[in-house]
Amino acid sequence: MINIQDIRDTARDMLAKGEVRAVIGYRHGTRGMLAEPAFITNPEQAGELVWDPTCFHNLSLYLVEDRKFLAHLNKTSAAPIAIMAKGCDARSIVVLLQEHYFKREDVYIIGVSCEGSGVVDERKLASHLNGFQALNAVFDGDDFVFTTAQGEKRLPAREVMADRCLECRNPFPKENNVVFGEDKTGRELAVPFAALARFEAQGTGERWDFWSHHFDRCIRCFACRSVCPMCYCDECVVDSITFPVTPATTAEEKANRIRWIERSATRSENITYLMTRAMHLAGRCTDCGECERACPVNVPIRLLNNKMEREAREKFGFEPGASIGGPSLVASFLDSDPGDFIR
Amino acid sequence: MEKILDKKQIDGWIAALADWEVLGPVLEDGIWTYQPVSGAVRLDHPNTKQSPKGLAFPQREIFFSFEQIKGEAPRLTQVLPKEQRHAVFGVRPCDGRGVPRMDKVFTDHVEDPYYNARRKNIAYVGLACNKPPSPNCFCLSVGGSPVSTDGLDVQMTDLGDRYLVKAVTETGKALMAAGGKLFAEPSAADQKQLKKTHADAVAYPQRAIRDPDGAPAKLKASFNSPLWEEMARACIGCGICTFLCPTCHCFDINDEVQNKAPLMGQRVRTWDNCQFPDFTMHSSGHNPRENTAARLRQRVNHKFQYFHENFGMHQCTGCGRCVSECPVGIDIVTVVNKVTEHAG
Repeated sequence: MINIQDIRDTARDMLAKGEVRAVIGYRHGTRGMLAEPAFITNPEQAGELVWDPTCFHNLSLYLVEDRKFLAHLNKTSAAPIAIMAKGCDARSIVVLLQEHYFKREDVYIIGVSCEGSGVVDERKLASHLNGFQALNAVFDGDDFVFTTAQGEKRLPAREVMADRCLECRNPFPKENNVVFGEDKTGRELAVPFAALARFEAQGTGERWDFWSHHFDRCIRCFACRSVCPMCYCDECVVDSITFPVTPATTAEEKANRIRWIERSATRSENITYLMTRAMHLAGRCTDCGECERACPVNVPIRLLNNKMEREAREKFGFEPGASIGGPSLVASFLDSDPGDFIR
Repeated sequence: MEKILDKKQIDGWIAALADWEVLGPVLEDGIWTYQPVSGAVRLDHPNTKQSPKGLAFPQREIFFSFEQIKGEAPRLTQVLPKEQRHAVFGVRPCDGRGVPRMDKVFTDHVEDPYYNARRKNIAYVGLACNKPPSPNCFCLSVGGSPVSTDGLDVQMTDLGDRYLVKAVTETGKALMAAGGKLFAEPSAADQKQLKKTHADAVAYPQRAIRDPDGAPAKLKASFNSPLWEEMARACIGCGICTFLCPTCHCFDINDEVQNKAPLMGQRVRTWDNCQFPDFTMHSSGHNPRENTAARLRQRVNHKFQYFHENFGMHQCTGCGRCVSECPVGIDIVTVVNKVTEHAG
């Protein structure tokens, strides 16, 4: 079991010694039971840090934001930032390092192992609570215990844990500077890609109906893109401005820009958006599942990313975020590749 | 007009509304949404994921279609919403209060024909909140109430095995008249229970914005506060807060070309979102709201300062959706409290 006090002490110590600029972690939010991202710069605030089953967020997103902010200030380096990272989050950081988004010495990874647990899926919880909301969540080793306005509710962890956690292949943050919690790799709560396998067991017609239904429901709030540490492009194909505009950009260039996707949240546009995003995440998505969690209307986005991940695994034995020095999926090839197009 | 409706009779009432398309809260894909219901409606929902604002202000509205044959003048054809009456059941008081706020925007200074064409055909049948349906409810802080009838045509109150149904407007009276003998006269005991239910509802503890009256002036004074940057630190710039909001109404207008030759397409209005970076992007590349701090401030100030200056009321109705649904915990109650307290 992780003793949060150890993490707080580590954070306080590093901040006091000036070894890191900030510690990005979790603290209790002001709304109900949920943790929220915390940006600690003062050693005295280190006591705010928490670790519980609502620490959903893949905080590596904020390492990306920080790099963008430094670039905005025309700075290329600064003291490192420490960050709390679960297994999936640490793999995201590895992908960002593979892509040279920042350097290894720019980040101090405080690994937190999920051990035998994972994070709560708010949707599953909602179905158990008939739409009412929980005020508090505790993992007592076997069960999650929730407090609601209607009383206490004890639920087996498996029933309310996020699919991403049930299917997690590596809940231990292998890449770390310091790590808390036991390595319980290979715990196998569910078969990897189980949700995808269930989906693909259906016929083509059913699968099309399923996706048509969900593509129609997307409201294009872009929470999936915004919450994703891999969606860091300055220009996104779906935005109304799809290229950087400078004072030197001519009116003609602006007028002739290609509009790939209309703003209307209609099926055709939503398909283009969500499929484009899935393709761009192939070999990069570490299945942190944040896109699916953030989606306010419960589009099962994770299935799309899982599909790409499984393809890469089966065809190339590729695992996203496995090691910093390892190859990336779409930027490496073998001389022995039988395809002519690659040479 | 106040009547009693046995819960077993509600399906009969809905069946009697033959001239109306009836919408009610439906739980599907794990979320509550308003959907057409025929015969049966369940009113045991907390609140819907999205407010009912999309009925009068849909996410996509076609203004007109256009076509042009080369060498000829372009032809424009206005596309007005089709005449269809909608009665939406189960509207919570906060969403009811969203309606007059949307009306202010789309009917006060300008008459928006698209909004009006839809709005005049919608009846809002409200359901009082005996208890706050969400831990993030704060309607009492913004001039509302769990038993408010503002914006509603009918107010229903759950009294256990029956509803007390009250007509608020003439439209509401007509809806109830359609139910005819399904309704009974309330007894003195019913009236007593209603009074107690409403009193309990108002007394139920909610989250609180501590100085809502002082907020407009204090937010104005805090425009350059460093707090905005601190509070927006976690903001990821998605559009959940505004798309789910019962009163956010910003939009974009685009021409969607379906065919190049001959030229055919539609001019459409779609929801837009002040939290998106490109919302304020100028064609020069300059962005006056260049970071999440400026964009969070815009949304909060619009709700609690600018709208108040323009219309004398807070735009926020305290439904708590933006609080509950923010993926990173940004909480408008905390934000307003922090800024107003900092302003002294």
